[in-house]
Amino acid sequence: MPTSGSKALKLGWQVACVCLLGIFVPALVTSLGYSLTDALGPGPGFFPFWLSLIGGVLSAAILVQVTLAKAAEGTAMSLAPDRRMALQAIGVIIALTAAAALFEPLGYRLTMLPFIVGVLFILGARSPIAIALTALAGSFGVFHVFYQWLKVPLPIGAFGV
Amino acid sequence: MDTLAHLMAGLTAALSLQNLAFALIGCILGTLIGVLPGLGPAAGTAILIPLTFKLDPTGALIMLSAIYYGAMYGGTVTSVLINVPGEAASVITCIDGHQMAKQGRGGTALGIAAIGSFVGGIVATIALVIVAPPLAQVALKFGPPEFFALMLVGLCLITGLGGRSLLAGLTMAILGLLIAMVGIDPVRGAPRFTLGIPSLYDGLGFIPVVMGLFGVAEILLAIQQPRRQVIKTDLASLLPSREEWRRSIGAIGRGTGIGFFLGLIPGVGAIIPTFVAYVFEKRLSKTPERFGHGAIEGVAAPESANNAYANAAMIPLLTLGIPSSPTIAVLMGAFIVNGLTPGPFLFQERPDLVWAVIASFFLGNILLLVLNLPFVGLWARILHLPYAYVCVCTLLFCVIGAYSLQQNAFDIGVMIVCGIIGYGMRKIDMPIAPLVLGLILGPFLEKSLRTSLEMSAGDFSIFFTRPLCLTLLVLAGIVLVASALRLQPRQLREGSTT
Repeated sequence: MPTSGSKALKLGWQVACVCLLGIFVPALVTSLGYSLTDALGPGPGFFPFWLSLIGGVLSAAILVQVTLAKAAEGTAMSLAPDRRMALQAIGVIIALTAAAALFEPLGYRLTMLPFIVGVLFILGARSPIAIALTALAGSFGVFHVFYQWLKVPLPIGAFGV
Repeated sequence: MDTLAHLMAGLTAALSLQNLAFALIGCILGTLIGVLPGLGPAAGTAILIPLTFKLDPTGALIMLSAIYYGAMYGGTVTSVLINVPGEAASVITCIDGHQMAKQGRGGTALGIAAIGSFVGGIVATIALVIVAPPLAQVALKFGPPEFFALMLVGLCLITGLGGRSLLAGLTMAILGLLIAMVGIDPVRGAPRFTLGIPSLYDGLGFIPVVMGLFGVAEILLAIQQPRRQVIKTDLASLLPSREEWRRSIGAIGRGTGIGFFLGLIPGVGAIIPTFVAYVFEKRLSKTPERFGHGAIEGVAAPESANNAYANAAMIPLLTLGIPSSPTIAVLMGAFIVNGLTPGPFLFQERPDLVWAVIASFFLGNILLLVLNLPFVGLWARILHLPYAYVCVCTLLFCVIGAYSLQQNAFDIGVMIVCGIIGYGMRKIDMPIAPLVLGLILGPFLEKSLRTSLEMSAGDFSIFFTRPLCLTLLVLAGIVLVASALRLQPRQLREGSTT
């Protein structure tokens, strides 16, 4: 936790603390809805209640501590990556999200084929042959290995692929 | 005698062709993970769990353990050849290892690292065989209050020793514990924090969360790291000269001792033993000025400490059910996935499995030596792989791993969200280890707390009237207070400079 450092780092911690409070406070309220005690002793809400309470207090303490700490002026360190790398990271997350959404409807093979092509392209791979081979191996090849050999259940989509 | 008989039976099981193959595959995959910068042992072990879903538990755990200690070795290759640690514990090896490579002694650096790792691993495994059974016997006498207190000590150690901020560590541990509460209450069967989403009734899966926090987050971070050039160095002569042997033998012995003893303490982490071993060697040396300029002891000691730590860290897991680090927590998750709860009862209930896994550590260390001495050139060549392809492979395994445990695409979503959270946490240097430990220990901690309170009809004095439990709670308190005091001067100092 920065007691000194760049403004960006300080802001990052402040945002993190607010997010943590955004988890602990609703959890505290929700846990009050579960019984804290019952005939046998502590109820389902007992542990969550105390955890949320302590977590909330600690998060607030960190937030106060970080806010009161001085940020070093002129510290150039930025938490944000450069534009190209940020776009690559966002692209990977979008591709993963799309894969998660299509995973069961389309099946593993039809989802991962374009996913691999897309991610490789996003990350700067440009050799069509290498991309095609990796996509085929990663979709149909990996499916075969996991599904047939390792007996790991992977989804088969609506098209039977 | 009983221990020896168990070990022999374990060795027989581990030497079966199937288990030997699992150990070999685990060592290869582990070394590969270690070699690839940006993919640490925790992420590596997590993403490879799906490979073991349908294996028998013994084979699965032999393979995953081999992946773990293989990864701990593999990090050396990148440390020496590109001055980037393949995993955090290899940071200190960069200092002299990379200098040795620049001087054309890269082969020797990797050779002594392999030998040191081997010695460290074997000695620590022998100590594990000696220490683990009596420790497990003692732990068998623990009741729920003692287990609660013991887990609290483990969490406090990890929170107190592992990070730079005690407050942040505690908050993350509590967050991990709270996340573990999602799902059906194990005692009363009431749903908690499920938000009406059926997929959450089984709780947030440990595997998707860990794959996100480590696997996806590491990929997102790795995208932003500049690629480094692999240094050209002599990899043909792996064995040290007579003079280098003379300098290394003591360093390997001391590094092994340091790594082993620090491995017994949960929360120390893999970096501290390597750092302590390095500093110790430098202080002991008559020519400390050589350190930082290619001193072979600067590679031998931390590498021995690293592998001794890796094997010793299995002792708290196997005997007490306390994971010492995030990677060990992932291994604990693998035990749980296989329907096994690590701890003293495992020695009683499944001695065949425990001893086969322990025996496999011996074989794994031998396999690692064989893999890493003659094939060091091959590992070095892997560093030339374009990183985009490595990222894609990692993401594939993450997706498969997150999905296949419950066969639910919702878990892929959980993994993605955790990946983004893990990325953010790394960027601001927020500790992840306490969160992971809290997540894995949460259900056990809650169960022992509630069972204890049921035993006493809700009376908290049960924790203070049992001597062992009280001792452990006092120890937990001491750890927290000591951590707070340790941090205070630095925080004040930092504050005063701004």
